[in-house]
Amino acid sequence: MFGIEMVVIDLLLNFFSREEINTFLRDPQVTATIIGSLIAISGALLGTFLLLRGMSLTSDAISHTVLLGIVVAFIVMTSLLNLEPDLSSPWLIIGAAAAGVATVVLTELIFRSGLVKQDAALGLAFPLLFAVAIILISRFVDDVHLDEDAVMVGEIGVAWADTNSHCLSNCETVTITPDDERAITARRCVNCTAENIYPRDEGAVFEEYCGNCGTYSPAQAWSAGLLETEPILVFWPRSITVTAIMMLLTVGFVVLFYKELKLASFDDALAKALGLRPGVLHYALMVLVSLVAVGAFDAVGSILVVAFFIIPPAAAYLLTDRLSVMLVISAVIGSLGAFFGYDLARGHFLGIIEMDSVLALINRVFGLQLLEQWDSSISASMVLMIFIFFIIAWVLSPKYGLISVAARRANQRRIFDDQVVLGHIFNHQHDESEIMELQADDLYQHFLWSQQKMARVLRRLRTSHLIEIANNIVRLTQRGEESVQHFRQNNLSEHIV
Amino acid sequence: MSKQLDSTDKKPPALLVDDLTVAYNSKPAIWDIDLNVPEGVLMAIVGPNGAGKSTFIKAVLNLIPRAAGTALFYGQAYEQARSLVGYVPQRGSVDWDFPTSVLDVVTMGLYGKLGWFRRPGRQERELALHALDQVSMADFANRQISQLSGGQQQRTFLARALVQDAQIYFMDEPFAAVDAVTERAIVNILRELRERGKTVLVVHHDLQTVKDYFDWVTLLNVEVIASGPTEATFTSENLRKTYGGRVAFLDGGAPVNMAGD
Repeated sequence: MFGIEMVVIDLLLNFFSREEINTFLRDPQVTATIIGSLIAISGALLGTFLLLRGMSLTSDAISHTVLLGIVVAFIVMTSLLNLEPDLSSPWLIIGAAAAGVATVVLTELIFRSGLVKQDAALGLAFPLLFAVAIILISRFVDDVHLDEDAVMVGEIGVAWADTNSHCLSNCETVTITPDDERAITARRCVNCTAENIYPRDEGAVFEEYCGNCGTYSPAQAWSAGLLETEPILVFWPRSITVTAIMMLLTVGFVVLFYKELKLASFDDALAKALGLRPGVLHYALMVLVSLVAVGAFDAVGSILVVAFFIIPPAAAYLLTDRLSVMLVISAVIGSLGAFFGYDLARGHFLGIIEMDSVLALINRVFGLQLLEQWDSSISASMVLMIFIFFIIAWVLSPKYGLISVAARRANQRRIFDDQVVLGHIFNHQHDESEIMELQADDLYQHFLWSQQKMARVLRRLRTSHLIEIANNIVRLTQRGEESVQHFRQNNLSEHIV
Repeated sequence: MSKQLDSTDKKPPALLVDDLTVAYNSKPAIWDIDLNVPEGVLMAIVGPNGAGKSTFIKAVLNLIPRAAGTALFYGQAYEQARSLVGYVPQRGSVDWDFPTSVLDVVTMGLYGKLGWFRRPGRQERELALHALDQVSMADFANRQISQLSGGQQQRTFLARALVQDAQIYFMDEPFAAVDAVTERAIVNILRELRERGKTVLVVHHDLQTVKDYFDWVTLLNVEVIASGPTEATFTSENLRKTYGGRVAFLDGGAPVNMAGD
């Protein structure tokens, strides 16, 4: 990770100064928006395939069960390998991927027993794994930042502060050994824990040790006051690296296997018959979902991760008929949601409405005493923003939106009413029943329609010159005849042949 | 069954199935199937509901695990013969709201030949358009698939199989709930395939049309009841054995499936 960051920083230094980079990344908004967008893009791309495979909730399950992978890897790292735990460590990533796959396999096993339905199988598998994770956390992992708050909503707002420092020049590492003159001697109790006593209690045995020994990176050495000249440093938020790698992996996977993913999602049986191994692809997809879920876990918490997977594709699904376009739109919606979501958390809704004044208005109208300062969870605001984009697509989509569907239905009803009347005239004109059946005044009675409705339809047909009324008898015009023939050919022919 | 393989001068049959058994939870879905389908026949697979017709096709194509048995395509196992085999699944097995076009679905038939990573290009597009033309669907190439009628969906699937340019085709109920236009289109395609020397196996439900459409027939009810040329095999006696008492015979010949679907 460290090496990759260095390469990127070297590249950026060709265009920006060190100060510019540091100032830019130290802005909480910038870092949060970058991380949010990277997660949103990965989530949206993978989520598109989950949505189309009817597996939306699998992402929810996996985003919870990766916690088990994280915790187990954490325990293995700290107890067995004596490593410094770190959320971007490959061990945690392997653990999370394994937990994600375990969720899918366990669900599959329960489902295959034939005793439980698919959705229930998922509902059985994932709380089990999540519960085991929670028990392990509370039993073995108590002093880390895997607290409830982090699990719930993540820490995207403070991600800017968790950095790797990269030194450009004046890079002096300092090592202090016990014989160094700068070494500070401290005392510690050696038998306190074992005998369950306090250092002040009688019988406590002490030993001396060096309190500040060890190797200091340039950044640490400078802040500890061990250096004379300030090292030139770039501070790089760790989460950006993790989420960027997830994003690149996801984009690479989707671009490389686009054709295979499409076929496997549309027609699993044909993919199998053609030898394209949809099973392998399925598990690869699940591994990636788990990886992105871990990356997102740190930033937005396990509960909201699912929103980044499902809402953008659901919105994009309403806006296009092509898979490739759907992938792009859903990535765009996700990252726009992350961008405007941060603004919303700080009280600016799409740059149009200030939430503080909304609160003031509510206070004034309802006589409430709400704090007139909008400052809310960043991850929740991002999700809310993505959801608002979904609502917009849902209502306004030109093809599948509520409005256009309602308009189309109304139009279809109108056309159908017209054709019912035209068809009736067509069947009865030019024969004896004409006088009985085609009286303009009481035509409505034949259809059991209201008089107004019939009047409306007749008016419409006359203005478009499909019928004419002479001596109170309705007749088709030339155009009317053609319209009836056309309608019959298109809508009745399959039944006639 | 191994007799045919011994004579080296003779070409191996299009499909040779030996002792094929598939079980769901130890209940056999198909039982000890032996079948020899010669090259160039149009074969109907008929049998009552639950007789294992779809299961048979899926097991032959390795889509579901077999309990026992082998299937050879022109003497080769499925893994080697993939490019010789075309498959038309049941229309209802996919989600027709999937965001894709008719042309795209037909192009999917070529994904196997393209192999991993390679994208379909202009040549694939031409082939797919030609296949659509064969099923009178060329005008629908850019349609979103959700806008198709049932018959048009079936013809799209048929075009997807045609574009595979296989030697032996497996079609799972292509005639189910389609309009008259589509039924005629499918029959024409089937005959054309036979004229080009292809072998086609069709799961079929309408007993009345078996004699008109197919020259070979296999009667299946978990086991193979009879298999061979339609004239000799599609007899009232064999049908009675296959369907039990659930088939009535109209004017001494055409049987009617009373089981209903």
